[in-house]
Amino acid sequence: MIEVEQSRPLNPVMTFDEVSMERSKSFVKALQELKNLRPQLYSAAEYCEKSFLHSEQKQMVLDNLKDYAVRALVNAVDHLGTVAYKLTDLLEQQTSEVSTIELNISCVNQQLLTCQTYMSREGLRQQQLLAFIPRHHKHYILPNSVNKRVHFSPHIQTDAAKNSFQARARLRPSGIPASKTLSWHLASETKSTLKGIPHASTSTEDARTSGKTSEVFHLIDVEETSRTKSSAAHLQLPSGGPASGAIVQTSGATDAMESSKALTTYRSFENQNRRAIVRVPVRSKSVLSSFFVKQKTSKMKAGSVA
Amino acid sequence: MARAGGIINAVNVGIAVQADWENREFISHISLNVRRLFDFLVQFEATTKSKLASLNEKLHTLERRLELLEVQVDTASSNPSLFAT
Repeated sequence: MIEVEQSRPLNPVMTFDEVSMERSKSFVKALQELKNLRPQLYSAAEYCEKSFLHSEQKQMVLDNLKDYAVRALVNAVDHLGTVAYKLTDLLEQQTSEVSTIELNISCVNQQLLTCQTYMSREGLRQQQLLAFIPRHHKHYILPNSVNKRVHFSPHIQTDAAKNSFQARARLRPSGIPASKTLSWHLASETKSTLKGIPHASTSTEDARTSGKTSEVFHLIDVEETSRTKSSAAHLQLPSGGPASGAIVQTSGATDAMESSKALTTYRSFENQNRRAIVRVPVRSKSVLSSFFVKQKTSKMKAGSVA
Repeated sequence: MARAGGIINAVNVGIAVQADWENREFISHISLNVRRLFDFLVQFEATTKSKLASLNEKLHTLERRLELLEVQVDTASSNPSLFAT
């Protein structure tokens, strides 16, 4: 066996597969040699039996037989040891290979789990991004939305008429929502007037409403001026009596104006806040005037009762 | 002469007995070593069997894990829209 191992060529440049192949080959060779020992031992036993029976020098045969038996036993033990060592080495190699494969499978499994986790997170992120949630109302986003009322006087009136005329000639573009709020229209008109660009309103009705609302605001301005005048008159008249009726009238008018003003402001604010597709109600001067008359009569009645 | 013959016979018997005892001792030694060899072989067979069984079990486990991974990868590769961002 030692001669066999020495005769084996030492090749340092060998791959892992070649080394494993060499190991398995040597194990098979050792096993084959162990198997070949059996017929050798059987043939030696038959020869010794025949020679002891037919030979005259039996003691010499016996001594030779003893030596051969000892050497055969040692040889068999040597062969068995070699086979056992090579088999154990092969099993250890296979176990280490299986452990390496197990580690690789664990790595692949971990990578797959990471991919799955990433995909689920990505899907959740995409789903979250799809939902559009408006954060700010239009009247917070639109420019010059606070100082609308200050700019609504003579400029708008003319421009509103102009815009309404222009809008009637043009068609309403598709895709634009019908329920544009009042504030949006007014803001757009102010923008156009400030920039000097003719603004194309979306619909004739919207233009009319903008024109009408401009008239309303003009009326409010008129009411405001009348109110200031009445308050001035109230201050000038110190005593009651014959001026009480006038005062009641003026106070009634002022109250009516205040209520109407409150109502219009409430309505304008309501229009600003509305997002739903609701058309702005068309207001006419006659309607408002009739409303004022009614308020006045009611206030007059209340004053007479008191 | 007979007495000398008797003594010689006794010596021969003695030598023969001694030789017999030596032979028996030799045989006992041989049989003892053969039994020790047999015990070694039995122990070696048990150890190798247990090692092979554990290796077989590990391989079975790895096969199942590989099959599971294969199914998961096939499922993922069959639906490429999942990877589209």
